[in-house]
Amino acid sequence: MVLRVLGAIGGGYAFTAAAVAAASAALPLVGMSRSDAVVLAATLGFVLYLLVLLWAFSVRGLVRLWVTLAGATLLATGLTFLAN
Amino acid sequence: MEPTFRKSMAWLHTWAGVVMGSVLFAMFWMGTLSVFDREIDRWMNPGTRLSATLAGQPVKLDGPITDTAMRLAQGSSQWFIRLPSERTPAVELRWRNEASKTFERRYLHPQTGAVLTHTDTLAGTGFIFPFHFNLHIKWKDLGYWLVGLAGMAMLVLVVSGVVIHRKIFVDFFLFRPRKHTQRASLDLHNLTGVLGMPFHFVMALSGLIIFVGIYWPSSYSAAYPEAKDVPAARQAFNKDGYGQYRRAKAGEPGAALASLDAMRAQARQQWQGGEANFIRVWQPGDKASYVELRRSYEDTVTMNLDQLYLDATSGQHLYSFTSAPVMTVQRFISGLHFIQFEHWLLRWLYFLAGLSGCILMATGFIFWLESRRASHAKKGLHGVRVVEALSVASVPGIMAATCVFFIANRLLPLDAVLGGYDRATLEMWAFYLAWLAALAHAGWRGRAAWREQTAALAVLAVLAVALNWVTTGQHLIHTLAGGLWAVAGMDLMLLGAAAIAAVTARHLGRKVASPLRAAAQAKTAPLPELAAAQQTAKGAGNSPRAA
Repeated sequence: MVLRVLGAIGGGYAFTAAAVAAASAALPLVGMSRSDAVVLAATLGFVLYLLVLLWAFSVRGLVRLWVTLAGATLLATGLTFLAN
Repeated sequence: MEPTFRKSMAWLHTWAGVVMGSVLFAMFWMGTLSVFDREIDRWMNPGTRLSATLAGQPVKLDGPITDTAMRLAQGSSQWFIRLPSERTPAVELRWRNEASKTFERRYLHPQTGAVLTHTDTLAGTGFIFPFHFNLHIKWKDLGYWLVGLAGMAMLVLVVSGVVIHRKIFVDFFLFRPRKHTQRASLDLHNLTGVLGMPFHFVMALSGLIIFVGIYWPSSYSAAYPEAKDVPAARQAFNKDGYGQYRRAKAGEPGAALASLDAMRAQARQQWQGGEANFIRVWQPGDKASYVELRRSYEDTVTMNLDQLYLDATSGQHLYSFTSAPVMTVQRFISGLHFIQFEHWLLRWLYFLAGLSGCILMATGFIFWLESRRASHAKKGLHGVRVVEALSVASVPGIMAATCVFFIANRLLPLDAVLGGYDRATLEMWAFYLAWLAALAHAGWRGRAAWREQTAALAVLAVLAVALNWVTTGQHLIHTLAGGLWAVAGMDLMLLGAAAIAAVTARHLGRKVASPLRAAAQAKTAPLPELAAAQQTAKGAGNSPRAA
């Protein structure tokens, strides 16, 4: 249960933060001002985090939870590097 | 996690509620009070209880008000003024105290510029409102992060609450107050949950969105990769997003301050009639002194970020700012949460919806406790005892502590200092000590603490009203007849709270004896413990009346 809560809250935050970073870096490429990109990405971040939390507390299997979150975090981090 | 999605959500709802319930109740309670924070300010700082007839009159800054400001803020690196509004009849003056690096505050009469008798208090806008969003825990922004976690928990609770509800429409019309506590509290939980759901969801989400600049440091780090570290990236984002202008000190004295009223006229022209209600003089007296004007959002939901910076001596334009489109949307969402616009009906609806959130939290706790009381007693578990102490301190405890805060405000002499703490800090200490005492009492008394603290709340609320009368001479008839609505409203709310608390305490007094006995019986009875408790509660709940 500790791994579940840690994975959902901590892991979920790590993934969402990475996705928010990717969006913040990518949105200016399509013409949005940098501060507005931050505001939009961060705002949507709360909704994404909510969905991730609900998923993380319902998905079966701890391995699946951790592997999915780790993979998605890596992917989002990679996108941030590409966009920068 | 559990076999079905609904069961997973039920588990999540239960535990997110139990773990975060205390913080959430504190946030809902302080947030609900913050709807009337300026009115609480009037009550706690009686010198500012000016007649409402002053509100509509135009205010001139040049002359007595500016003279007073320059005199009080002598040697300060900045001072600023908030113009009066319908809710704040006095002019608010603040300046930086260079020795203590804090901001001083005084209220001035809007027509004469006279300094009003000052009660050093953080009151509604300085204590209750910040408590709502940072719990006054400054260390490493921990308070903000706790509140953020609670905000996310609230969103999770709303969604999971909807999922576990099969009959959301039917439950809405179901309230059985005469049934035993467990059933009645669940009905009330469902009722306030369903009725308040849109409000609670929007408030939790918008509350988080207000702090876009805090909760996702990765966002500005990614958008400003050239910044050397995270704080630098945040600063760059703040400058772009919220607007900022700074001009270094020249280090030599400059000419006299130009007319602030002329600058307000200039701002009005630039904002097509929009009024500046915040005026700050940066580095007064210096050759490079400048004036910052911010536009009022009294009549719009969107809390605009319009700013105008002018040279303090020539009035020459230096910088202006208007927020970008997405930020403007963010400011609209923030405005929904902050309700800074003038609308009394909506303000009262926010207050009631906020209270419904408080009931939601409290009944959630009670349901959790009542459905486990018997079984925990039987199995020798301590969960109920611990959660009970926490929930009593979190619900009636924090309400009573808030009344102690008001009482301390009326009892402390104007020049009170104790152990190096100023008056405003002592008021805060009174609150925290009372809250701590409530927790200790709840731990000691167990279930009876619900009734005892509710009764204490009733007494304290009446005492606060009485002390307001004794210390200011302004009783209800005086304030109602004189149109001092803020003070009258606060007194009436306190009396209303006292009445509800007294009725609740009486009700608890009648009921509490029976389920306790039920729990004791369940220890020995071979029956399913819950059914036994229900039976006994039903039977005994009515008997004292009959007898």
